[in-house]
Amino acid sequence: MMRAAIAVGLLAAAFAVPAPALAEHHDEVDARNEAFAALPYWPGYWVSEDQAGTTITGLAPAATASSGSSFSVNIMSLRGDNAPWNEEGQRRRADVRARAGGRKATGWGYPMMMNSATPLRYLITPEETIIINFYNEARYIYTDGRPMPAEEDMWPTTYGTSIGRWEGDTLVIETVMVEDPSAFFHGSPPFSEEARYVERIRLDGDRLINEVTVTDPVTLTGPWTVTIAHVRDPGFDRQIILPWDNDRTGNEDGLNTIELAPVE
Amino acid sequence: MRKLLAAAAVLGALGVAPLASAHHSFAMFDRTRTATISGTVREFQWTNPHAYIQVTVREGNRDVEYSLEMGAPMYLYARGWRPRTLRPGMQVAVDYNPLRNGSPGGVVLDVRNAQGQPVGTNRE
Repeated sequence: MMRAAIAVGLLAAAFAVPAPALAEHHDEVDARNEAFAALPYWPGYWVSEDQAGTTITGLAPAATASSGSSFSVNIMSLRGDNAPWNEEGQRRRADVRARAGGRKATGWGYPMMMNSATPLRYLITPEETIIINFYNEARYIYTDGRPMPAEEDMWPTTYGTSIGRWEGDTLVIETVMVEDPSAFFHGSPPFSEEARYVERIRLDGDRLINEVTVTDPVTLTGPWTVTIAHVRDPGFDRQIILPWDNDRTGNEDGLNTIELAPVE
Repeated sequence: MRKLLAAAAVLGALGVAPLASAHHSFAMFDRTRTATISGTVREFQWTNPHAYIQVTVREGNRDVEYSLEMGAPMYLYARGWRPRTLRPGMQVAVDYNPLRNGSPGGVVLDVRNAQGQPVGTNRE
């Protein structure tokens, strides 16, 4: 009994925290809780406004309403159809288009994941915001005040490197070192690795507004700004996570088709 | 607007531009024509970027397998579908826009079960 009591006493001593340190810890927790409470809260599953209501056919009402019956207009504005492409940009777009037939993909990548039919979630904490979609494509936006990594730490990736800050209720994200987006998904704009993306995201009523400005000295003649609105699409109550691994879109004689060989 | 539609028509004809909400163009489907088949589900592929229903249809004295494309499973879920909504062996009737190249397939508009009831809610 005595031995057990001594053991407990030793343990308690080992874990004892001096009173001033404990108070400091509580202050830190209180400060973080306050910081958390002050942040916007954007729960739900957010879909590009023009993609809302997508049916089992795979088409959104907005896509079919303004089109003829045999094709749909482009409603993915981040594709950059209206961007100020320079000669190199135009060359790249023509090249991507020429090679697009029958190309397979495994996801949207950045920036197209911000403008696709795939719902997004925003998980906001004081230190970091995570933006993730139903393909588990994730962006990690550090908002703890750190600077962008140094030049020697840079490496181009599909989703780039991001830091962010809050300007009131607006999340401002700067993203760099994004691999040519069209290398990952053939419908994406062929920006260079020198492109810099600045997003300003805020809640406006029931819509999430994202103003995206892209500057790219390699492919654009000047900054290009496009505004995307997201809304909550009813019907989603959890993330349906499945890999993008059954792309059966083929191409025959310049026209897409379904590859008929079924995947077992 | 005419210019925009003309541009879209050109891209659509090429069939290479991923337009609208899906990851590819819909130019491969004849959206002016709706066909209906009745057959047996061989497999329901609950997969990305599209789900597919593989339906075996008796045509004359032979079985033909149709590949019927749908949107992504996440949108099927949102419209009341589930991974096991269709099971192998089920009898279904499917309304679809056929492939332009004449292959047995197309994009699904609506699905009814053996009792003639619509599957899922299809809309919001």
